[in-house]
This record gives sequence, structure tokens and C-alpha cells, in this order.
Amino acid sequence: MSAAPEAPVTYVEAQLRRRRRLLLPLLILLVLLLAVGLIAVGFALAAAERLTRNRTEAFPDIVAHFEHGSIGADQSSGIPFWVWKALPRLFPAEFDGHLDYRAFGFLYRTDNHGRQEDLPIGISKRDFHGVDLVWFNCAICHTGTFRTSEGAGRVIVRGMPSNNLNLYGFIRFILDAGVDERLKPDKLIPAVQAAGANLGLIEQQVWRHVVIPTMREGFIERRSRLGTFLAEQAPWGLGRVDTFNPYKLVQMEMLLDAISPDERHAASDFPSIFNQRPREGMHLHWDGNNSSLAERNLSAALGAGVTPETVDHAAIERVAAWLGDLQPPRSPHRVDAAAVERGRALYMNACAACHGYQGPDRYVFEGAKLGTVEPNSTLGTDSGRLDSYTEAFRQRQLAELFAGTPFQFKHFVKTNGYANMPLDALWLRGPYLHNGSVPTLRDLLAPLAERPTAFVRGIDIIDGKNGGFVSPSCTPGNRPAQGFCYDTRLPGNGNGGHTFGTTLPDNEKNDLIAYLLTF
Amino acid sequence: MNQDVIFTPLRFRNLTVKNRIFRSNISGRFDNEDGSLTQTRINWECKFAAGGVGAIISSYVPVLMEGRIIADYATIHRDDFIPLWERLGAAVHRFDCKYILQLSHSGRQMDFPGVHNSHRPALSSTSRKETLHGFLCRAASKAEIDHLVQAFAAGAWRAREAGLDGVELHAANGYLFTQFLSSGINDRTDEYGGSLQNRARFLIEVIRAIRARVGREFHLQVKLSAVDRNNVIPWEKKGNVLSDTIEIAKWCESEGADAIHVSTGSLFPHPLNPPGDFSFETIATTYDAMIASGVDAFRNFLLFRYRLLRPIFRWVWFRMKKGLPIEGVSMEEARAIKANVTVPVLNTGGYQTASFIRNGITSGAFDGVAIARSLVANNDLVQQWAMGRDLPERPCTYCNKCLLNAAKNPVGCYELVRFPSRDAMIEELMTIYATRPTLNLPPVVAAKAA
Repeated sequence: MSAAPEAPVTYVEAQLRRRRRLLLPLLILLVLLLAVGLIAVGFALAAAERLTRNRTEAFPDIVAHFEHGSIGADQSSGIPFWVWKALPRLFPAEFDGHLDYRAFGFLYRTDNHGRQEDLPIGISKRDFHGVDLVWFNCAICHTGTFRTSEGAGRVIVRGMPSNNLNLYGFIRFILDAGVDERLKPDKLIPAVQAAGANLGLIEQQVWRHVVIPTMREGFIERRSRLGTFLAEQAPWGLGRVDTFNPYKLVQMEMLLDAISPDERHAASDFPSIFNQRPREGMHLHWDGNNSSLAERNLSAALGAGVTPETVDHAAIERVAAWLGDLQPPRSPHRVDAAAVERGRALYMNACAACHGYQGPDRYVFEGAKLGTVEPNSTLGTDSGRLDSYTEAFRQRQLAELFAGTPFQFKHFVKTNGYANMPLDALWLRGPYLHNGSVPTLRDLLAPLAERPTAFVRGIDIIDGKNGGFVSPSCTPGNRPAQGFCYDTRLPGNGNGGHTFGTTLPDNEKNDLIAYLLTF
Repeated sequence: MNQDVIFTPLRFRNLTVKNRIFRSNISGRFDNEDGSLTQTRINWECKFAAGGVGAIISSYVPVLMEGRIIADYATIHRDDFIPLWERLGAAVHRFDCKYILQLSHSGRQMDFPGVHNSHRPALSSTSRKETLHGFLCRAASKAEIDHLVQAFAAGAWRAREAGLDGVELHAANGYLFTQFLSSGINDRTDEYGGSLQNRARFLIEVIRAIRARVGREFHLQVKLSAVDRNNVIPWEKKGNVLSDTIEIAKWCESEGADAIHVSTGSLFPHPLNPPGDFSFETIATTYDAMIASGVDAFRNFLLFRYRLLRPIFRWVWFRMKKGLPIEGVSMEEARAIKANVTVPVLNTGGYQTASFIRNGITSGAFDGVAIARSLVANNDLVQQWAMGRDLPERPCTYCNKCLLNAAKNPVGCYELVRFPSRDAMIEELMTIYATRPTLNLPPVVAAKAA
């Protein structure tokens, strides 16, 4: 009945018991160490798996690949997906109170059930080192919308310029957010959780001490390179980008002082990217500085945020192959057939040599001067964009980018004007000229004095009478209810030049416009 | 036949044995827990006497209860056991066979401590546990050594009083004397440890004490391990070498030993003693009886019991046997010792072939042989030789199942292939119980008045 342990019967058993008693703590320690070791190995393996992870979704469908497939920019320039989701909660004013990125002109597709997709068009996602990163792909700058009237439904068109995108505003926002206290872990982690991240305790610590500091350092570094420059620039407005200046500051790590004042006003329209194959060999880019589609594509990808180390050539080439023969939607404008015929005659006589022409089924890329560079001495359009691409920058491009690889740049040239562009999908490409300084085709045929000095960009209702988009006049400094007030008097925004056809009589202008509306 | 050297008498100083064949020490667990011998032991010894051996060296006989290796082996620690031993001696003498009592003390090599010893560590030269089974021990003090010396002298005196023909000191095979003699085991720093002379001091003191007690005329022989080969557990010290043992044998002779009995190995059993096979299937069913005896015994049981683990022990046990014969495994060592002493030398180790033994004697390797297993297999081995056979009809296979069964089962031959049937084998095993003792009734003691 006694609870006292029974004494051992033999000396051997007594010694064994003593030995067991002495060994028990060691055994427990050993078991604990083993358990801790196993757990540590487990964690190490899991961590190693995560830290070596670099995977992104492969989209069998080319359209989905264009809209969300990664080209490698997410790895080098991306921000964590959950931060992307949390930012609208932390900065409601900048997002107009939405929990998505429509405030910056990002476009969202809706699924079959009418639900808006998680990520906007032009954003890819990649699990890199265990953290989902998101950033741009090609579609961010090359997907736009139109409406046929105020009340009509919005149509998303892949390949047209991103006429809604406020890239300048978005980049400024990201740069400012990097130094905003709302991105401190104490505020960001709850917002990330509220956005649905569901981070565990360990992951929260990883975010607090690694992910967020790393991200903020990246933001601050980008801000130190770009912030001052962008703040001094006039806002680009919707549908426009300064292609090469951020490139100089970020990719080339050039100092701001190395960029002369003449180079700094270069914002231009996003181009359309239909029908790429017929363009091979033409002078590409607004200033025609490269005649290789592949190089132009890679250069554009650098602008989207890839680096020579992270670029996914296969993903880009897949997009390029698809774009080769991508046809724009036919112009919906209803025009008088007789007028079109008269306009065609005028066009074929005066314009087709430089721009090609619209055939009955598709655009015809023929013309003696199509795709060649027209010296700006004769063209006379704003030189900001031309001047931003310099010989010095070209030298560094050729020497440094993809050096030692088959992708090393060879075809960049410094030109003295702007390239004669094919005019396919002209109805989706307003405002016109490289810098989008002339709102409609009718305005383009008007003498400089009659072209609008300030007008609204970013309204996606097509203008069936004048060509381009509805672009009411506005007063710079006053924010319009919709879109962006474009001021042609700002440096780089000049609306002069390309005076061809401005002296035609009105009836001929009408006929010419009727034909151009079919493009 | 008279010319056959095997059958010529072997004359010791105080004893003459009719031939050159000695039954070596072997026993079963057939005596009483108090150490008194039984009818079964008499039956056992008489089997060999009847079979024609010249002398029987008793099994290991402890001089003290704390020196038992196995609890139910007969002892000679009490004067009132003298008549029992006298009875045994008389039984054997009827066959013209001599009986030499092996005086022993287990030291730490105590396989079954029994109720007398299980509560305490065994006395030894050292306090380090035995390495194979993990038997525990404690280094004897000087007073305890003196007590041990006197116990051996008293044991010899009792043997003489019982009319037995001599005594053998079991100073081989890892028992107490080996524990003092072996440089691999003895770690003492007093006069009983260190140099060979110091390590031999205990044995020499025992011989002197016996001579002092029983005089010069009583036969006294010493069984020595020629080489310790103490490294059965690979990282142990190797222990004494042949030259050490030759020196010890010479000292024994000069102190009054009448013969040297040469064996090998610093523990028992040892890979080379007895040489031969090792039946894992047998020991897996018997070693459980020893699990409580040593702190490492359970480990061994697992090594014996599980096939996956057996290669470990197989390597430990068999690596030493490579290149060595079974029969006459230590014959050359006996020859070396014989060359250095003048007293007769006996040798043990797998002897079974008459011509081999004859050659050993005539070539001067030894004067006689002590045999256990081959005689257990064929009790009449000597008679078969006498009839002209060189090897018995059904020889011992050296399977060692007799040894590995000893922990649990009756002693005898368990090599089934040697018998026509299992029943025949059991019948042979049971023969030692055939002659039954007279059963006496205990006296009735009247209750004391209140």
C-alpha cells in the first residue's frame, strides 16, 4: 500500500537504477536536442525550399500570358503582393477610396461571374524566395479602352496605348510611400492581414525584419534616384511615359546632373503594338532610334523593370510572336463612303508614301518613306522626346546592357527627327503626334494657331466626327472632373509641327478625315 | 597397447595417474543452493570414471560462498561438507580413477550470483566491471585478500581430509586468480598490482598457505592461461603474454606446485576456450537467465536474440579464431611452458584424436591432456581409443551447445545430429539423474515449552 518505490533486489539492479537515474537527464537532453535538431532541420529545409523558390504561373492562353505572365520585372522591381493589396487600405486618398488600382488607370478584367480579378491587367506575380512579388509586364502600357458614347460599355483593347494609365502618378505614389510611416511594419502588417494575407507568427517576424525593410530600402533607393527628377518634371498625364530619362537614372545609375535640361522634357504617348511583324526593319520608337523589333522589345522590358539578370526572354518572345500579326479591332466609325473615296485619293497622293494606307481588309505597310526618320527640321514637332535620347546614353546602352550575351544591343542609333509611323488602328491612337499634343485628327489638320492649347486627355469616348477621343478644352491648374488637363505650353508638350494638310480647304479636310476614320 | 603412451601412467611427485587423460573441469547446475553436493554430481563424475579417464578434475569448486560462479555448484567452504566430498571421492576411486578438486573463486566473473551474492558486488583485484557481461565488482582490501588466501588453504585441507587425490588452483580463464595475474585487468597500485611479481603475489601466497596447511605431500597443480588475449572487447588491454605465464609457472613450481595445467584466455567462455562454434539459436534461448547478472547482459541478449544484430557479436567472437586449429589450440604454448618447468604439464583445448595426443606427449608438448567436451560427447572416449580407434565413432563436433545450454538446462551433449533421435538425446541427458539418493526424513524437533 506504500507509495514508496520498491527497493531493488540485486546489486546489479541497484546500479542499473542509479545509472538510469544519472542517465535520465542526459537521455531527456538528448531526446530534446534530437527533437530540436529535427525541428531545426525541418525549418532549415523548409526555409531552404522557400529561399530558393522562384516560380511564376505559366499561362497556356496567350491572352492571359500577355495580361499576367511574368517577364521577370516582378523579381527585380516588384513589391510584395500583400503590400500591393494593402496599399489602398493605407492610402485611401490616393486610391480615391477604392481597394483596387483603378484610381491610377489600371484596368481590371472581370471573370465569368462578374467578379473583378485580383490583379489588374499588366501585373504579373512571382513567388520569389517565398514571397509573392508583383510588378509590370508589357500589357501595363499597351492595353487601353474605348467607348462609342458616354453611356456605352467600356471595351478593353489589348495592344492599343494604355490611354487611361497614370504611370507618373503611380510611380510618384510608390516613391512617396517608401518614406511614409504607414509602411512601417506596425502599420503595414495589420493592413496586410486585413487584406487577407493571414501571416503566421513566424512569417510576421520575417516580414517585420526582412521583407518590409528590404522593400522599403528598395523604395528609398528608387526614390533617391528618381524622386527629385520626377518632382521637377511636369506630370506626364494619362497615357504617357518618359521612356529614357528614368532609364538613365535607374538602369544606368546616372546622376541627375548628368542629364542636361534639354533632355528632361520627353514624356510621350504609349504606342500601339498591333501588327509588329510588318514593322521589322522600320525605324521603331517615336524617334526611330532602333530598327530591331527584338532589341526594341528588350529595351521596353527594361523600362518595365526587368534587369539583364531577371529578364525572361522566352516570355517576352512569346508575347512578341503573338503581337506579330495581332490585328486591331475594325474602326466602328460610320462615314460617308463617297467621302471616304475622295479622302482616299487625297491621302494616297499626299500621305501614303510616309504612312502606308488602310486597305479594304487590313492595313497596307507600303510607302517609300514608311518607317524612315523624317528630320525634325522639316517636321517641326516638339523636340523634347528626340533630345532626350542622346549619343552619350546610346554609347552606354550598347556597351553595358546585356554585354557579353547574344542579346547585347547593336541597333540603337541617334536620329535627327521622328519616324514615319504606320497608322493602323489610328482610331484608337489619339491624341496624336508622338507627345499626344493634338487631341483629334481634325485638330492635326488645323494650323497651329487653331490647335487647342489645353485639352482633356484620358476620356475614352471615341470622337466619330473629328477622330481620336473626346477631348474637351480645359484650364491648366484646374483638375477636370474626368481625365487629365494637358497643357501644350509646357516644355515637351508643344503641339506644333506636322503641318501637312493644314492648308487644305475644309471639304477636302472632311474627306481626308472620313478616310482616316476608317483606319 | 601397453606401449601406447596415452596409457602409460603419469607420475607426479605425490600422485600417479593410470593414464594421460584427465577429465577437465565441467559441471551442471545440479547441486544444492547451500553448496552441498548431490547424488547427481556423483552420478556425473562416475560416468567419466567409468569411461576410463585416469583422473577427474572436479568442476569449479568455490572456497567461499562469495566466490561462486553459478549458485548451484557444489562448494568446499564448510567442514561439514567433507563427508560429502569423501563420498564422491570414494565413488570415483572404485573405477581406479583419481579425483582432483579444483579450488576456485569467481572474483567478478560471477555468472549467477544467487541469493548469497546478488545483493553485493563481487570481490576482485579491481573495481572495474567485467567487460563482456558487465558483472560488477570491488577491489579487495589487503585484509580481504588475507581472508581469501586462508579460504583457499582451508579448502585444500578439506579436500585432503575428504581423501581426495589432490587440488588444482583455477588460476586461468578469468576467475579471481586471473583477475590478479592479468595486466589487462589488474589496476591495483598496492603490492598486488603493477609488476608481474606483484600481480602474481596473491597466487603465490595461496600456494604457500596451502603448503603450510596440507604439507608437501598433497598433490597441488595450478591451471594457468598461457596467453590472456584479454581483448575480446576490442578496445581492452591485451593482458599477459606467454613469457609472463612462463615466469608465473616457474614461480608456481618453485613454491611447490606439482603440475601446471595450461589453458588460454582471460575470461570464460573465451573465443579460444573452448574453441569451436557459437550457436546463436541456442544462446538466444538460454542467455535470458543471465540478464539480471550484469549491467551489460541485456545488451548481449539483444545481440544474441536479433538476427540483424548477430553479425556484431559474430565479428567480436570469431575474429580471434582465424587461422587457429580447434584441437590443440594452445598446444604450442603448453610446449613453451613445459620447456621451462620440470613438473608435468597438462594441456586442454579440443583434444579428441588419439594420435594427435600421442604426438603431443612424445614430442614434449605436454605430459597429459584434460578434456571436457569430447568426453561429454563420448563418456567412453578413452575406451574407444584403447580399442584402437583414433577418433570416436560419433565425435564431438565442437558445436559448444553443451556450454551454451549450461545456463539453463541439464549439462550434456545437445548436438542432435549425434543422436538417432531427440528422445535419445534427452534420455542421454537424463542419465545423470538415474541413480537416485536415499531420501531422508528431517528430524522432528519438539516445540519449546512456553
